[in-house]
Amino acid sequence: MEMNDPVRREEKKDSSPDRKEAGPSGPDTSRPGKDSILKRMKKVDPKQSEKYKQRTGQ
Amino acid sequence: MRKRIYGIETEYGMLIKNTDFKMSPVDVAARIKNHIFSRDLGVLDLHYRANDEPPGNGGFLKNGGRIYLDMGHLEYASPECSNLVDLITFDRAGDMLIQDALQALGYDQDVAIIKNNVDLETNATFGCHENYLVSRSFPFENREKLKILASFLSTRQIFCGAGRIGACNPHPFRDWDGYTQDDEETAGVNFQISQRADHIPNETYRWVQYNRAIVNTRDEPLSDPSKYRRIHLLVGDSNMSEYSTALKMGTTALMMEMIEMGVDKNEWILDNTVDSMRSISRDPEFKWEILLANGRPTTAMELQWDILTTAKKHLTDFNQETNWILDVWESVLTDLAKGPEAVLGRVDWASKLWMITEFMKAENLDWKDPWIKSQDLEFHNLNKEDGLFWGLEETGDAFRKTSDEAVNHAKTHPPRGTRADGRGELVKSLMNSQAAYLIDWIGFRLNKDEPFLMLDPFVSYKAEIKEYLKGMNPEERADEEHFLR
Repeated sequence: MEMNDPVRREEKKDSSPDRKEAGPSGPDTSRPGKDSILKRMKKVDPKQSEKYKQRTGQ
Repeated sequence: MRKRIYGIETEYGMLIKNTDFKMSPVDVAARIKNHIFSRDLGVLDLHYRANDEPPGNGGFLKNGGRIYLDMGHLEYASPECSNLVDLITFDRAGDMLIQDALQALGYDQDVAIIKNNVDLETNATFGCHENYLVSRSFPFENREKLKILASFLSTRQIFCGAGRIGACNPHPFRDWDGYTQDDEETAGVNFQISQRADHIPNETYRWVQYNRAIVNTRDEPLSDPSKYRRIHLLVGDSNMSEYSTALKMGTTALMMEMIEMGVDKNEWILDNTVDSMRSISRDPEFKWEILLANGRPTTAMELQWDILTTAKKHLTDFNQETNWILDVWESVLTDLAKGPEAVLGRVDWASKLWMITEFMKAENLDWKDPWIKSQDLEFHNLNKEDGLFWGLEETGDAFRKTSDEAVNHAKTHPPRGTRADGRGELVKSLMNSQAAYLIDWIGFRLNKDEPFLMLDPFVSYKAEIKEYLKGMNPEERADEEHFLR
């Protein structure tokens, strides 16, 4: 396989030049695919952050 | 844009999910490393690389990269890559080599590999280091130029931050000293767009542990020092989105290119890059207001637009990759203004914020609920069955620049066009050899007195290495003790 030319699936959306806006305001809640993400999130152990004991690295 | 070499070093976090599991994160990291090298994916070092890197602590891989243990973390350094598609392919190949090993060892139900940069409970931090090879003539000794680079890096987080719950004000020398969860200033921060912003107290400095800086000034070119300099950055977050990694490193390379060309502008210099990085990251309204050194107030978005406009003027049509970077830089800046959903799958902090906001609504939770911090971690879980980011790839919402086929290939084959190609050839040959060896980024030594130097990262050295290896008897068992003395 030629590594400089892998199979790509690049998507690109049309954009509009509303650059004067400072930043995102708030998320839209109507997105498809939300249910499958929420299903993953529901399975997460609520206490797992407390179990994540890491050392400082670089 | 002239030719570049890119590289990424990633320190991984290790979450022991099962409280009955008997091993510590450090033990698991060592077993994963040993498993990888026992499966003919690379060769372990036979020599001391440093006091804290004894023989067997790590080694070079068939793909030309390295896996090793560093300060208790499992770390992967990608091979040298000559383009962004290779870079993201080999970055993800490292992730998957480690995740594959975890699963092969049967630990994947008890342990998760977390590709993030902060322990949200203790404030420990660990890095994702970017490497860019520039010419020796890069004006690194010019303070103004470093301030321009730092101003770019301080504001690029708006499209390449990975996001995190909460905040901290760590001590500059020992992150974990003097930190309390109830700090009045940090308690009011529910979410910020960068994982590392709170951990960078300096604009320029040479250390990589404590007192970290936006621009690391350590001079370690790992190549011919008369021709090259390696700019080593530790300010960025580990990205889950390959698109975000490509955008982060592509735009930074263009910024360096403009500095080398002398088309950068002093008016881009911020009044205080460190304070700005933190205030941008923590801004709950995403206005990202900043003050320039010339006294003019502006925003991170406007500054990035100005830098992009100059880049388009001077770099358009240099090559296909440059045009891609300019195109997506503009697209992301444009879409950021529309809200997190508009850059979902392209900007990690926005993807995370959207998910968490939706989850809080669905479960009627507030920001302080411990489940929210746990969701933050899960965004970075490398296990595709569980990790939240992978849900975006599953639904087709995550933009991609490479493919799973290319990533699989990159686990065991080096990239072309750099010296990693020759190094991969060497490692492959040593798999079936009894020879003693000493390998480093800039060359190697076998059962011969003279080292083979690979001082130019743009040269593959593959043919020369094949020729060199012809003189080696693979059955001859070397006297390692004598060789390494």
